[in-house]
This record gives sequence, structure tokens and C-alpha cells, in this order.
Amino acid sequence: AHRIMCIVYLIAFLFSLTSEQCSSKLMEDSSQSFMERMHTGKTSFIYFGNHVNPTIKLFMEQLEMSADALQDYGISVVKVNCSKDAIANYCTGEKLMTKAYLFRGSEVLRSFDIDTVFDVNAIVSHVLFSVLFNEVRYVHTPAELLRVESAAKQNSDIVVGHIPVLGLPEHRALMEAAFVYGTKYQFVQTSGTLVLKHMGVVDLSSSQARLWFLHCKGVSRRSDPCPSTPMRKPLNTINIHTFLQLMEAPLTESVLDPSEVDVVHLHLGVPVLYLFSQPQTQHLDRATAQTLGLQLRGEVGLVLIHRDSPNVKTSLKYNAAYRLPQEDVKYFTLNSAEGVVKLFKEELLQEQKLENEEEDEEHWSDLDILDDEVSESVYRDRDLMLDLESVIELTSDTFQITVTQDDITVVLFYFKWDAVCMAFIQSYIEVADALEGMNGVKLAAVNCGEWTDICSDQNVTSFPTVLIYRPMAAAQLYRGMLGTKSLHRFILLSLGSSPYILSSSAEVMSFMEGDLYSKHMYLTPVRVLGLFSSTHDMGVTSFEEAARLLRGESILGLFAHKEMIHVWTSEVEGLSVNLPALLVSRGPGVPYEVYSLPSSSPTDLVSLIKQVELDRFPELTVENLPWYLELGKPLLLLFIGKEDSTESTKALAEIKQPLSSGQLDSFLPCWIHLGRTPVGRSILEKYLGFVPPLPVLVMSQLKTGEEVFLFPPERPLMAKNILQWIHDVENGQEQPAGLIPDGKWGPPVPFFDFLAIMDQEAPTYAVQRAPKMKTGGREDHRENKHVTPNQKQTPHPSSNPQAPRQHSEL
Amino acid sequence: MSVIQPLFRLLCVLSLVLAGSGSGSGSGSGRNASVSHEYCVLGAGPAGLQMGYFLSRSQRDYIILERNAGPGSFFQIYPRHRKLISINKIYTGRRNKEFNLRHDWNSLLSDRPSLLFQRISRELYPSADDFPRYLSTFVKELGLKVKYGADIGTIKASDFNGNQGYILTDQNGVSYQCSVLLVSTGLWVPQQVDFLGSDLVEGYESIPTDPEEFKDQAVLILGKGNSAFETAQSILGRASRIHLYSPSPVRLAWQTHYVGDLRAINNELLDTYQLKSLDGLVEGRLEDIAIVRREKDGLRRRMAKKRSQKSTEGKEQLYLTLTELLDQNGNNISKITGQNLPGFHTDNFSLRQPYDRVIRCLGFRFNFSIFDGSARPPQSSGARGRLPGITAWYEGRGTPNMFVLGTAAHSRDYRMSAGGFVHGFRYTVRAVHKILEQRYHNIAWPATKLPISQLQSWILRRVNEASGPYQMFGVLGDIILLRGSYCEYLEEFPLQALPQLSALSGRPLTDQGLLVLVMQYGLNRTDTLGPGRAESEWTKAWRSNFLHPVLYYYNTLPTEKDMRQRPVGWPLPRPEALHHMVEDFLTEWDQPISHSQPLRRFLEHCLQTDLRAFYAERSIHRRFQENGYLRKQGIVGNSHLWQHAREAGLMADHQRDITPGDDTSVSEYLKHAGAAVVSTMNFDL
Repeated sequence: AHRIMCIVYLIAFLFSLTSEQCSSKLMEDSSQSFMERMHTGKTSFIYFGNHVNPTIKLFMEQLEMSADALQDYGISVVKVNCSKDAIANYCTGEKLMTKAYLFRGSEVLRSFDIDTVFDVNAIVSHVLFSVLFNEVRYVHTPAELLRVESAAKQNSDIVVGHIPVLGLPEHRALMEAAFVYGTKYQFVQTSGTLVLKHMGVVDLSSSQARLWFLHCKGVSRRSDPCPSTPMRKPLNTINIHTFLQLMEAPLTESVLDPSEVDVVHLHLGVPVLYLFSQPQTQHLDRATAQTLGLQLRGEVGLVLIHRDSPNVKTSLKYNAAYRLPQEDVKYFTLNSAEGVVKLFKEELLQEQKLENEEEDEEHWSDLDILDDEVSESVYRDRDLMLDLESVIELTSDTFQITVTQDDITVVLFYFKWDAVCMAFIQSYIEVADALEGMNGVKLAAVNCGEWTDICSDQNVTSFPTVLIYRPMAAAQLYRGMLGTKSLHRFILLSLGSSPYILSSSAEVMSFMEGDLYSKHMYLTPVRVLGLFSSTHDMGVTSFEEAARLLRGESILGLFAHKEMIHVWTSEVEGLSVNLPALLVSRGPGVPYEVYSLPSSSPTDLVSLIKQVELDRFPELTVENLPWYLELGKPLLLLFIGKEDSTESTKALAEIKQPLSSGQLDSFLPCWIHLGRTPVGRSILEKYLGFVPPLPVLVMSQLKTGEEVFLFPPERPLMAKNILQWIHDVENGQEQPAGLIPDGKWGPPVPFFDFLAIMDQEAPTYAVQRAPKMKTGGREDHRENKHVTPNQKQTPHPSSNPQAPRQHSEL
Repeated sequence: MSVIQPLFRLLCVLSLVLAGSGSGSGSGSGRNASVSHEYCVLGAGPAGLQMGYFLSRSQRDYIILERNAGPGSFFQIYPRHRKLISINKIYTGRRNKEFNLRHDWNSLLSDRPSLLFQRISRELYPSADDFPRYLSTFVKELGLKVKYGADIGTIKASDFNGNQGYILTDQNGVSYQCSVLLVSTGLWVPQQVDFLGSDLVEGYESIPTDPEEFKDQAVLILGKGNSAFETAQSILGRASRIHLYSPSPVRLAWQTHYVGDLRAINNELLDTYQLKSLDGLVEGRLEDIAIVRREKDGLRRRMAKKRSQKSTEGKEQLYLTLTELLDQNGNNISKITGQNLPGFHTDNFSLRQPYDRVIRCLGFRFNFSIFDGSARPPQSSGARGRLPGITAWYEGRGTPNMFVLGTAAHSRDYRMSAGGFVHGFRYTVRAVHKILEQRYHNIAWPATKLPISQLQSWILRRVNEASGPYQMFGVLGDIILLRGSYCEYLEEFPLQALPQLSALSGRPLTDQGLLVLVMQYGLNRTDTLGPGRAESEWTKAWRSNFLHPVLYYYNTLPTEKDMRQRPVGWPLPRPEALHHMVEDFLTEWDQPISHSQPLRRFLEHCLQTDLRAFYAERSIHRRFQENGYLRKQGIVGNSHLWQHAREAGLMADHQRDITPGDDTSVSEYLKHAGAAVVSTMNFDL
């Protein structure tokens, strides 16, 4: 009831705004009245002062004005003269003079620097904002806004105000509106540019306040977004009021003639569109009107007038009318709904229209600009001659001989016109330079644009392709990243045997601890050992084949001696093995993992080995990400800042704890170091809309449109909290912090439509012929088709007997 | 066509082969001997041998029947003046074997890189004698089965277990039972036109080739094709006057892009005509004329003394006149007087002077006479009925299991493309062979399976090197069957048979549509050598005049009806979307702005996907957003390239404030032993 009263107040206030208030509502409290006030439980804004200087004098004037304004909201504005009544706690101390306090009863809701509440607008806005603290949501990020939206869906509509600077009249206008309409709509205030961007504002430089109405109440499915209507007028109390009124009533129905109809829009200075409805087509007309109403909402009021009423006197030749503010009704005939929208939009939204046009033009002038980052970066190098000195360029004549000469010949198959090939060839040359002089390795390249026969013979259908040739062996496909590091590592690892055949327990120990083949330690610390009872074991061949397939990717050992295995395993603490088995070492001192080894095909073995090699708590990098995503598990992803803080180390340890007890098995716990993988920052931003202080833990599914959950930053990142949080998320008790944006990777730009251009410039050129009725002449017809229209054939030049006379001098 | 049918055919064929080998063993000597073959190739010319190669490679039971003692006997006689006009360009500046075939018009296709015509001749326009030599080498080195001296007199259709087959009988009465007959007999019957006095006319096939024989003679040549001009050119320095007469004006190959039209190498007479050096071209109907001898009269007698010194052995001169000026008694022309000649009526009639010789150079026709009524293909509607009428897949109309190859199959692209010439039909023969493999052996048309991310690259490869579509422009085209994340790439399919694609290729269709890549000449509406003849702006690519690649995108396979009603001058019906790649002066369609990017955007439109490549950094980003989205994400690049991309505003700068990661040299990296890094690429395969 209080609020309803306020609406009345507000309206009264709006129209009395200009009239000077003579009698001051500002009260002065003594100790006595102050004590009484504290007991009423009412809200009051109190300033304690002891002397007056020019600044304070100005403030006092503003305070006085605010007393009038705040009175309408049931808030008293009070000053206390401390030199007369020294009230304990408030009349002492340094803060005296520079602070004002907002009380509810005796409780201080907030204190303000008088610099903040410098004028009447600032006072009103800040005070109302504090009073409405629980009702007006303050959001920083799109994710937070989405959270508010999802709570409001099918429930209430949302008013979003973007207030770049607090305390200005716009802020006050929003707060006043929030006070009045707060029970009806969910109010949201924001100030950053993130939300602005989210709402589709292009020009972020303007510090203009903005307001949107989000139609969340009417969404039919919770997964649908709330449609939004921007307020196009400046943010002030009257405009907000008008705008909200318009949101309420997109369509009114009436049985009166347009000139008689009285709708709120006319009072609000908004144009009104009248549509006439016939009884027979009533449903259709209403549907049209509703669609139009939604399209024009906020700018034009829509009235549906029922023609069957005797009051409607408009001539039947018109089916629509409109009335601009302060003008008479104008009648017209409506041909299409689009026509009306256009009529109004062109009158009202000149500005926006221009903006769109500019965008279009910009787009088509971009036809000749490369929009592919790889192509563009390669194109910018077009004046550089490629230095292929360290790479052998192969030809049909040299190919066969070359690839059988060395232990390893790495061959790159490329096209000069393919940007990815040309970008990769730079990395390829870097690797060749790094390996120059190393025995047994040679890097070569085949230009498939020239030596097409080699590329066909080698069955290369994808470009670029890197194949590893060894004498007497089938070529091996390099499947790693097309980058310097990966290829370099692959080649170095390829140089070793695969598998390493181990023959004693000492060798096995040394292999597992990384001492044996320690030169590869820096490439990967992971060692995978196949244990078999004897070399005649059926699985050995399969394992050896798998090892060959994994050459360059993994370091594999083979130990096939039942007795020695028993001796060795008994020496290693806590190790029990049933043969055949796979043993994985992740580095010196790390306990081994044991996996049983089913008898399977080499390719199945390859995927098994690849899987067991994966780290259980990996640091995600650009290069290893695909392997982990392939697991298809939801990510439990910890983002760590680039400076290695103790906090980060602790966070990592806290996640490891439940990991080792198997409580996180349904997830892929992982982490990203924003220093080493800077792209992580933008991933985080995409997820949440902002980058919170690090470290931060996030849970996400991988599917588009899935929710992202953020571990509450205020809670300590500790194992038990994490588990509790996961539990809460799974039970739907946590609000998502963001969504994985919808990623339909359609064409980035429209294509250049040659057919449309032909139809325009040569209208008959690209048109299918009309069917010919002539039957039997089909063959004839067919032949004619081969003749282009300009090649005029004269098979029978003339039946004139005098024909030869016509000596045609060409 | 159901799957059963080809299988059934195969069985029939097999049983036939078995039966044939039983009865035919040791035959050939006796009368009424009979031999069976799955495939009979009639004629050991270039087309027959080309098919022989493909049959041999796929290890089919085949025989090539040739009536002469060696291959390519046509070229023993023709061209009469012994110079081939098919270019033999050895130096192209390129080593791409496929590309080089674009400029080698005489070689046949094989898997032997050494078996090219350049091994026989280094001349750009080689001697005709070299061609049979080349063909002999081809036969010998590939071990093709050719039976020489088998002169097939009759071809009859016959029913072999419910399928139409053919029985061929040679001059010795040996009969050949053929399940599939491949007719590659070429065109060698001289084309004649019936008019009065055609018996006074010499034929191109029998004229003397020694120019001295034409010394100071006035020569009228009927025809304006390459053989007419070749003849004229050889006697240009001896004959007194050469006139060329035929219905149509000269068509220049360099204007029409049709190699069957007058080639510049033969066109010296155009010079002497235009520079008024006594030679000339005249248009008129051949059916209306008559060639007559003028009776000696008073005038002649009075001049006798003078004349006897000039004329050679009193040979009578020939006049061209019009049938309607003659007083005809049946077929006998009683007596020619001045009144029977056009010059009597029109004093400045162009061809009023008499000729010493009239030569017919009207080309050749298909020999229909060896076909029994049951096996005779109809005459083509075009090319004055000189060729057999065939389907879009080169099967005779009404003669199932009989295919026509080589020059005889030119009715499909007469006066349009290169199907009548070695450099063209070597590809149609290959296409027909693929159709045979599918129809009779259920071996589908070869297709390369490509991830869609590789499609652009593959198309560029084809347009930059493929010879088949380049020579057989507008006739053979590459088909790309879209299958979602991947596609199947079929090379050099006969475009007119597109509605039958599935049955002919054995490749099923899906609802994801298809692309067709065709090489085409353009509208040709401008002066061939005039200004504005070439287009360089890619947005105006559809106005390209020179040969350029065109891509057609169809949601669904065009039907026969769509095909019939296709726009005038188009090889294919109007597609859903169309892309012309702008003609290129160097025929190198590999430039990023004018060629690649517009092509990529067209493909993106057809596939409704983003085909751009991203550095791994960026794609990690995208991977996080959509797991299933897998593309060329493997490319890492280096700081130098990233810098370019950032400057172009295409790549976000995450690294601005930190030490670049991949930037450091490899050795630098190696110091930091990281976690095991496994990675992958080509996820989308």
C-alpha cells in the first residue's frame, strides 16, 4: 500500500517539480528528538555538523532541497548541530562534517561522504539506492545480468539502467522509478561497459545513461532469451515513466472512432496507430495488431478499433489511421504490416537507420580484404623470399632415393597457394635449422603444385601433410600440432627405438625412473612399459606394432620375462601386477600406475596407451587441449594467474586431494596458467563476462548453450568447499555464472552472389528456358543448346539461286 | 539401376567368356570360327588404343580389332600435307605432369611417364608420320592386345542371355562375340555433296600433294575447314588463283575457341585474300551448284593458237554454275553454252572465270555401312548427320552395350569442345571406362574422400593443374558430393549425364547437395583481340571471356528436364548458387584476394560453415565454446605471423603484456621441461 501511495506522490511530484517549494521540510534535531527518531524505526538521512563554511553552506542548501524530494518516499532529512547537541559517536571524531548517515531506526544503513552526496540529485539517488539495496540488483557483468534474467523469466519483466556516473540526475530518475515500480519490475543497475556491450551498444565511448526493458515475463520457454526494448529518450523521470507505461500497453482495443479514443499514449506525447478490424477477420486483425504492437513497442501506441461498433464512423476506404502528438488523426490505407513499421521507423528512427546503412557499406567494401588471419598474415609476407636452404626440395627424380637414405626423412607436402601450408613452412624451416647437422635426420619438402605425381603416389590428400620415412618401413603420418615445438619434439622422440626392449630389472628401473634415455626426459617425463610373461606372448607383436605407430609421440618400453618381472615387482613397494600389463611412470619418484592389458589390435592398443598417458590433472595448453577434450568429460578448470603465487599452489593442491581419492572421476580436473596460455584470459572472459581475481575455479560442460558455474570467490578454495560446491551445482542449488556462448560457425560474411548480379545485369542470361511444346525435335533442341547466342549459325545461308553472287567481303 | 543388374550382367559376361574361350580356342584359322570377348574395341586408332590401355590396366578380357597392319592408319594418309596441327609443347616452364598435358595434344594417357609423344617428336607441329609411330610404341610398351588385319564387314546385334551383345564378322568369316562393343572407327569416309558434275571434282583424299602439279592453275576448293585451307596453303606459291567455296563463312579457332575451326597455322590464305592477291572466299550452298565443262566454240577456235601454248595437254577447264541455269534432260547435260553460266547473266559474277581444278575438302563421315539394321546407331542431328547419335554417356542411342569413342563420338560436343580430338577424347574415353567398370563390374567411380576443410585447397589444385576439364571444357567436370563434414570428389564426369550420376558412378546421393566444377569460356561478346577482352576484377568474373573455372552448387541433383531447359549457352542448369573464378592471364588461379577468398566464401555459403583457418591460439578459444567444432586447428604459426594477423586486426592480442611463448627459440624452450604434451591435428577426418 505504501508503494501505491508513492505512485500518487510521484505523479504529484512530477508535476510540481518546477514549482518552487517555499516551506522547508528539512528538520533539525536536538539530542532529545534524535533519540526519539531512533526509536521510531523510520528511515532518515542525517547530517551532523558543527560550523558552516562555504562548502557546507552549499551542501546545506542541497540538503534542504532533498528534504522535499525524499519526503515523498517517507524519508526524513535531518540536520544536527553538534555545537548545540553533541550526540555521542556522531558529533565527534575526524569524520564529523564530512559524513552524512542514513538510518533505519537506530541502525546505520550507510554513511556517505558529503563529496558523494554533493547535490540534491546525488542525495536522492544514493539514499534511494541504499534503501532499495535488496530490490535493485547491481550487476557488473553480462553473466550476472543473465543470472538475474533467468530468475525473472516467466515471472516479471526487468528494467536495466546503465548509469555511467552515480549521483547524477539520470541516476536519481532511475532510483525514483525503481522506488515506484520496484514491486512490479525487477530493477537492475549497472555501470561498466561489459553489460553495455552485451546489450549491443556499439559506441562505448559515450557516457550517456541508458535504459532497457527486458520482456522476461512473457517468454514461453525458460531457455529463450528475454526480448529487450531500448528506451530511446534521455533518462529522466518523465521519460522513464512514459516508457514503462508504453511497455505495459502495446495494444489497446476500442469501439470508438479514432478521434474519440482516449489512450494513455496521447497524454504521454507518443504517436498512436489505429487499425480497423472487421468482425469476420477479427482474429487475424488482432494477430497483426499484436505483432505490430510488439514491433513498435515503446515508440508507438497501437489501438485496434472494431468496425462493427456504431460509434466508428471512419470511411471504409481506410483501414488504418495514425495520430501524432498535438495533431489530428490522419487516415490512410495500410497495405502491409512492414509498410507501417517503415512509416513510423523512418519518421522516428532516422538516426538508427543511418547507422545500419553505414554498416552495410562497410561490409561490402571489405570484399578485397582478407578476413582469414592465417591467409592475411602469410599474404603480408608476400615480398619475402622463402629460405628453404635447410630443407631439401624433392622432385620426382630425387624423391625415392632421398627418402630411403637416412634413418629418418621427414617430408612436408605443401601447396604454395595454401596459407596454412605457407604458415607452417616457416615453423618447418625453424625445425630444420634446429636439427641441422644432426645425423640420421633429414627434412625435405615436396611442392605438390609442381610434383603432383609424388603427392598422388604417396596418397596425400590433406595439406599440409608431414610424413616420416624410414628405410624399409611404411611412411608414418605426423599427427601433431603444426608448430615448431611439437614437430621438433616428435622428430627427436622418433630417433629412439619404439619400443625399447628391456632385458633386466635394472634396466626397467632405470627406464621407469627416466635415467635410461634421459636425453628424452625433457621431451616427456612419461614412460609406458608393456609387461609380458615372455616374448612369445600373443600380445607382444601387437604391442610392438602399437609402439611403432606411436613412435615420436610416446616413449614405450617392453619387458617380457615372467620371472624377472616377479622379482622386480616384488622389489617395488605397493606394486602388484597381473601379466600382461601396462605400467605408467609419470616421472621420477611418482608412484607407477598399473593397467591391465587386454589382447587387442594394435590400433586399439594405441588409443589405450594414449589414454593412460593423459595426465589426471593436466595443465591445459593450446597444444594438448584437443586430447583432453576428446574425453568428453565436464571440465573442472582452475585458472591461475601468471605470477606463481602461493595461493595458486595451494589451490592446485586442494583440488589434487579429492582427485586422488577418486571423488572427481566424473570430471576432468585441469588448470590453465594464464602466463603460459594467455588465451585462457579471454576464455574466462567469454565464460563469465569478466575476469575475477585469480585463482578461480570454474565448472563447465563443453556443449554450446551449457551453463558455466563459478566457485564463489568469497569462499576459500579448499577441498571440502570444492566438493560441497560440486554437490550444490549438481543439485541445482548454484546459480550459473555464465553460459558457453552459442557457437554456430556459419559463414562469416555473405557470399558474392553472381546469380543475383547476372539477373540484374543480364536478365535472361541465367534463366532456365521455358519448356518447348515441340515433340520429336528433342535431339535438335539439344544440339542448339551448345551454340552460344552470339555465334550465329547460318546453315542455310540463302535459298536464293543468285546466292553465289553475294560475294561477301568479310 | 539396381545392384542385382550389374551383378547379373557380370555373371553373363563371365559365362560368355568361358563359353567363348572353349569354342574359340585355336580358332582364327578355320571358316566360321568364333571368338568371344567381353570387350571388343573396333579400330586401333588413338581412341581404340586409349580404351585398350584402360581395359588392360583393369585386366579385362578385351581385343582391339584393326583392319590395317598397324595402328593409326588414318594418319598414314591424313592430313595429306603431313603436318599435324595438334600442338606438342614440350617446354612449359613447369614439371607438373598433369599440367603439362594441357599443352600436349598428341599424347595418350597412361601410367608411364615416358610414354609421351615428345619422345617421338620435338616439333610443336609434328609430322603426321610420327603419330602412327607413337601409337605403335604405345601398343608395344603397354602390351595392348590388338588383332591387325581383321576387317570387320558386318556388325549384328545379338541376344546373350538376355543382354544385347554384338557379333562382328571379318573378311575371313571369323566372328567375334562381344558383350560390349566399343566403336572407335573414327571418321574416314570422305563427306560428299551431290550436285551435277561432282564427278569432275577431285577429293582431298586423292589430290596430288606436290605443289608443282598445280603450277599456274586456277583452283576452286569446296570447303573452308582446316583441310581446305591446308590444301590451299600448300599450293599457294604455285596456283594462280585459289577460291574457297562453302555455305558458312570462315570460323577462326582463335575466335571460337573450337580447335576444329580454322587454325591460325593454316590460315595464310586469309592474308592473300585480304591483301587482294588473287585468292578469295565465297559463301553459297553446295547443293545449288554444278561443275561443268564448256564446249569448244567459235571463240575458242579463234584463240586456239594462243591457247595451245598455255593449256596443259589440252585439259578442259571447269566452270562453276547453278543447277537452275542448266537445260536438264534427266541427268544429262546436253551442251553448255554461255547462257548456262552465271557470268552471262551477271557480268561481274565472282566465280565467272574457269578453273583448272575443283577440289572437295568437306571433311569425313562415320562409316554406318558395316552396321546391320539391328546394330546401327541413328545419325546425329547435328554435324549434318555425319556422326552416330549417342547418349550423354557415349552409348549408342538404341544400341545398348555399344559405346562410341573418339572422333566418332564428337556429336556430343560438336563445334563446342574438344571431344573430336585426341587431347579431348583421351579424357572421354577414360570417363567411359569408369562407366563400364561401374556398370559391368560394380566398381564405383573413383572418389577421393576429403574433409571439407581441405575442399578449397583441392579445388585450387584441380583448377591449377587438371588437364581433363581444361581440354574438355564444358563437357567433363569434377563432381563434389557433399556429405556433411566430408565430401567425395569425383573427377571428370560427363556433365550432360549429371541426372544419371548415381547410376553411372555408383556413388549414392545424399540430401546435402553437390558442387560441380567446370572450366568454361565466357560470353565472348567482345572483340577477341580488342580492348576489354579480358576481365581482371573478380567481382565481374562471370563476364570472363577466356577459359576459367566455374562452380555450380545444387541442393538436389538436376533432372533431365532441368538439363533440357538450362539457360541458353550454359553447360548446366541454373544452380542454387554459382561462382565464377575470374579468368587469369597465366591460368594460375592461386591468388589470395582474387581467387582463394572469393572461392572460400562461396564454399562457406554452400556448406553453411566457416572455412577460415585460425592459429591454434584462436581455435582453442573456439574449441572451448563448441566441442564438436573441429577444424584445421593445428596451425601454430610464429610470433612473426601473429604480428601480421594482429596488425590486420584479425587476431586478439593476448600476449601483449607477457613474454611471447612460442617466440623463444627451440633450444630456449627445451630448457623448460613441461608436462607431456600430446597433440593432434586433422581431427575432422
